[in-house]
Amino acid sequence: MKNRTKLPNIYLGVILVIMYLPIVLTVFYSFNESKISSIWGGFSLKWYEELMGDRDLKEALRNSLILAALSCSASAVIGTLGAVGMSRIQSKSKGIVEYISTIPIMIPEIILGMVFLAFFSLLGLPFGMTTLVLAHTTFCIPYIFMMVKARLIGMDKSLEEAARDLGASPVRAFFDIVLPLIMPAIASGMLLAFAMSFDDVVISIFVTGPKTNTLPIKIYTKMKTGVTPEINALSTVILVVTVFLLFLSSRIKKKQK
Amino acid sequence: MKKHSKIWVSVIPLYIFTLIFVAGPLIYMIALSFMTRAEVFGVVGEFTLDNYKKIFEPIYLKTFAESLKLAFTSTILIILLGYPYGYFMAKLSSVWKKRMMALLMIPFWTSALIRLYGWIIIFRSNGVLDSVLMGLGITKDPLKLLYTYPAVVVGMVYALLPFMILSVYSSAEKMDWSLVEAARDLGASPMKAFLTVTLKLTLPGLLSGVVLTFVPSMGLFFIADILGGNKVVLVGSIIQEQLTKGRNWPFAAALSVVLMIMTSLIIGIYRKVTNTKDLEGLF
Amino acid sequence: MKFKKVLALLLCIAMVCSLSACQSGEKKELNLFTWDGMFPQEVLDAFEKDTGIRINYSNFDYDEDMLSKLSEAEGGDYDLVIADDYIIELAIQQGLVQKLDKSKLSNFSNVNSLYQGQFYDPSDEYTVPYGAGIPLIIYDPALVNLDIKGYSDLWDPSLKDSVAIIGNYRVIDGIALKTMGESFNTQDLDQIQAAGDKLMELAPNIRLINDNNTQDYIISGEASVAFMYTSQITMALAERPDLKVVYPEEGLGFGIMAGFIPSKAPSSDAAHQFLNYILQPEVSAQCFEYIGYYCTNKAAEPYISEEMHDLIVVPDTVTEGEAIQNISQEAEDLHGKIWTEFKDACN
Repeated sequence: MKNRTKLPNIYLGVILVIMYLPIVLTVFYSFNESKISSIWGGFSLKWYEELMGDRDLKEALRNSLILAALSCSASAVIGTLGAVGMSRIQSKSKGIVEYISTIPIMIPEIILGMVFLAFFSLLGLPFGMTTLVLAHTTFCIPYIFMMVKARLIGMDKSLEEAARDLGASPVRAFFDIVLPLIMPAIASGMLLAFAMSFDDVVISIFVTGPKTNTLPIKIYTKMKTGVTPEINALSTVILVVTVFLLFLSSRIKKKQK
Repeated sequence: MKKHSKIWVSVIPLYIFTLIFVAGPLIYMIALSFMTRAEVFGVVGEFTLDNYKKIFEPIYLKTFAESLKLAFTSTILIILLGYPYGYFMAKLSSVWKKRMMALLMIPFWTSALIRLYGWIIIFRSNGVLDSVLMGLGITKDPLKLLYTYPAVVVGMVYALLPFMILSVYSSAEKMDWSLVEAARDLGASPMKAFLTVTLKLTLPGLLSGVVLTFVPSMGLFFIADILGGNKVVLVGSIIQEQLTKGRNWPFAAALSVVLMIMTSLIIGIYRKVTNTKDLEGLF
Repeated sequence: MKFKKVLALLLCIAMVCSLSACQSGEKKELNLFTWDGMFPQEVLDAFEKDTGIRINYSNFDYDEDMLSKLSEAEGGDYDLVIADDYIIELAIQQGLVQKLDKSKLSNFSNVNSLYQGQFYDPSDEYTVPYGAGIPLIIYDPALVNLDIKGYSDLWDPSLKDSVAIIGNYRVIDGIALKTMGESFNTQDLDQIQAAGDKLMELAPNIRLINDNNTQDYIISGEASVAFMYTSQITMALAERPDLKVVYPEEGLGFGIMAGFIPSKAPSSDAAHQFLNYILQPEVSAQCFEYIGYYCTNKAAEPYISEEMHDLIVVPDTVTEGEAIQNISQEAEDLHGKIWTEFKDACN
C-alpha cells in the first residue's frame, strides 16, 4: 500500500519540476556575460547593474504596478457589489448581464484588444493609462465576480438575516457579516486579477498610448529585438520579490497564531 | 421584500460597465465586420458581406481547422495532466496544500513571455534537451525540436496548465469525500466510485478549467510565433496580421466574430453534454 | 489568507511608486515613437542632460501599428516618429505629417544626399533619413555545401529545413518575383500569383520565419542560411566574422528609415531639437554604430570606428536597389493571402 500513496506525490513533484525548469533557466541566464542569449559567456552581474540604470524599464514596472493595482481594485469593487447584488435580485436582465460580463474571459484576448482599440477611438478617449485601466478592469471583473458568486452560493444566509432582524442596516450587515465571509474569495480573485493584469501583453499593446509602457509590453518588444539578459535579470528580481512576499506573509500569519 | 429594495444599487456599476465596455465594443465589432475597408487606412460605413465571404477561401478555412486542432490537442493534454494534479493536490494535508498553492502561483508572477523563452533555451539545437539526450547517448544529432508543431503544443500546455489545475483543485477541495467513502462502502469499485461520484462532483471545476484553457488556446498567437517560428498559422495570427500589416480591420472583425461564435458554441456543447449550467467556482 | 497580505503589500508598493511619480512634476517632453533599440541609451541620456527635455520612448512592432496609432490620434500625441519609407508615404498622403522647419535644423546639410529626394518625400520637406538597408543572404560556409550567389539558391534541395527568413511578406514574396525577373512592386496579379506558386516550393527549406533577432539563429547554428535585414547582418558579422554575406545577383531590395514630425505633435520644437541633435556628426556616428544600419549621414562617416566602417559605410551604388513601394489594394491582399498559405506550407 505504501507505493500507492507515494505515486501521486511523485507525480506532483515531477510536474512541478518541469514547470519550474524554464524559470530556473531564466534565472541562470541572467548571469550570462554574453549579450547573445544562445552563448554562455561566463558569470557576470553586469545585467543587474544595467537594470538598475534602466529608467525606461523602471518606469514600465511602475506603470504596470499602478495599472494592476488600480484595475484590480476597481474590478474588486464592481465585481463584488455586482455578485452580492445579483444573488439577491430576481430580474430578467440578470442572466443576460451576467453572461455578457463574463464574455471577456470567454473570448480570445486578441479580439478584446482589437475591439477596445476600435471602440475607444470611436469614443475619442485619449490612449494611455485611462484606456489601459478601463480595458484591464473589464477583463478582471469576471474573475472576481465568479469567485465571489461561487462563495455566496455556498454561504449560510441565516447569519446576515439574523443581523438584519436584530436591527442592523443592510449596509452595516454587509460590512459586518457578508464582507468578512466572502473576503477570501475577493482576495483570491484580486490576486488572480492582479496577476492577469500585471502580465497582460496582447490587450495592453492595443490600448496603450505614447507615454505609458507597461512591463510586459517592454519585455515583448525587447524580446522581439533580441532578449538581453537584462530581461532575465528583471524576471529574477520580480521572482525573488514574490517569493519573499509570500514567505513574509506566511511568517506574519504564523506569528498572529 | 422591502429589505431587498435597495440592493439594486449595488448592481448598477456592474450593469453600466458591462453595457458600455463589454456589450458596446462587441456590438461595434459586429458592425465593423459588415463594413468596407477604406483605401489606405480605416473603414467606410458601406455595408458588405465580402469579409465573411473571404473567410470561405480554402486557406482561411484551413486556418480555422488548424486552430481548432491545436486547441483540442492542447486542451486534452491539459486535462490529462492537470486533472490528476488538481485531484491529488486536494488530497494533500492542509500545510502542503498551501505550499503547493504558493508554488503554483509563483510562476504567474514571472512574465509568461519569459517563461516561454525558457523553453527556447531547452528546445533549441544543441540546447539543454539536446545536450542531455546526446550526453546520454539516446540521440546522435540535434533534434531540431524548436519551431515545430510539438514545440507549440508544449508551449500551450505549459502556459495554460495552471488554470486547469487550480480549477480542478478548487472543485475537488470543496468535495465531500464521505460520499466517495459511502460509495465504496456500498461496494463500488474504486474506479466506479471515481466515475460516479468524484468525477461528477469535480465536473464544474473541470468545465471552468476547459473554458480557461480552450478559449485562450484559440488565440494565443504569440506562442505559435515564438515556439513555432511563425510557421504554425492560427486564427489569432491572421487576426493580428490583418489588424497590423494587412490594414484590414473589417476582415479582422469578421474573423473575430466567427472565432467568437465558434468558441461559444463549443463551450455551449460542452455544457450540454456535461449538463453543467453554471461556470461554478472558477478556482 | 496570505495572498491578501501579499496583495496589501503590493498595493502599498504601487501607491508609493505612484506618489514618487507625482513629485517629478511637469517638464518639457519629447514623445518619441519608433522600434525598440533605435538609439543608444547614452545618446538619449546626453540629449536629456543637455536640453532638459525628457524623452518618452514608446515602441511599435510594425509600421502599420504606428500608422494606426497615429491616425487614431489624428496626428497628435507623438512628437517624433521614425519608420520605414513606404509607410511615411502613406502618412504624408493622410495629412498626418508636418513640414520640417529647416531653420531649426542647422545640421540638415549633413545628410548624405544619396538618400534624399526619394519616392516618399521627393523634395525632402517632411523627413530626415535615419539609416538605410538592403536585405541580404548570409550563410555559414561550414554548414553549407553550396556557393550561394542569389535568391534562387535558397530553393536548393540541400538546404532542407535550414533557412531562416524575415517575416515581411512584401520582401519574401518579392524575392520569388525577383527570381522570375520581375519587380518587387509589380501590380500584375498573375505575376504575383505565379511568384506565390514558386514560393510554395521554398517552404520545405524554411526553418523559421521571424522578423526580429533573426541573427540569433544563424549565430547559434539553428539555421545555416538566413535572409535578413542589414542591422541583423551587421550584428551577425560582429559576432561571427566567418559567416559569408551574399549580394543576390537577381537584384537588391533597398529601404530607408526616416524621422518625421506628426501634424499635431504636442511639441514640435523638441522634435526639431532632437532631430538636429542626432544629425551632429559624432552623435550620428554613435547611433549608426549602435543600430547597424547603413549610415545616412555623410558628415558622420569619418567618426565611425574602423571595425564598423566597412559594415555600415557603403559605396554609392547602394541606392540602385529597388525600394518596396505601396501597391494597389488587390495586389497587397494577394500578397497577404500568399503569405498565409506559404507559412502554412512551411509547417
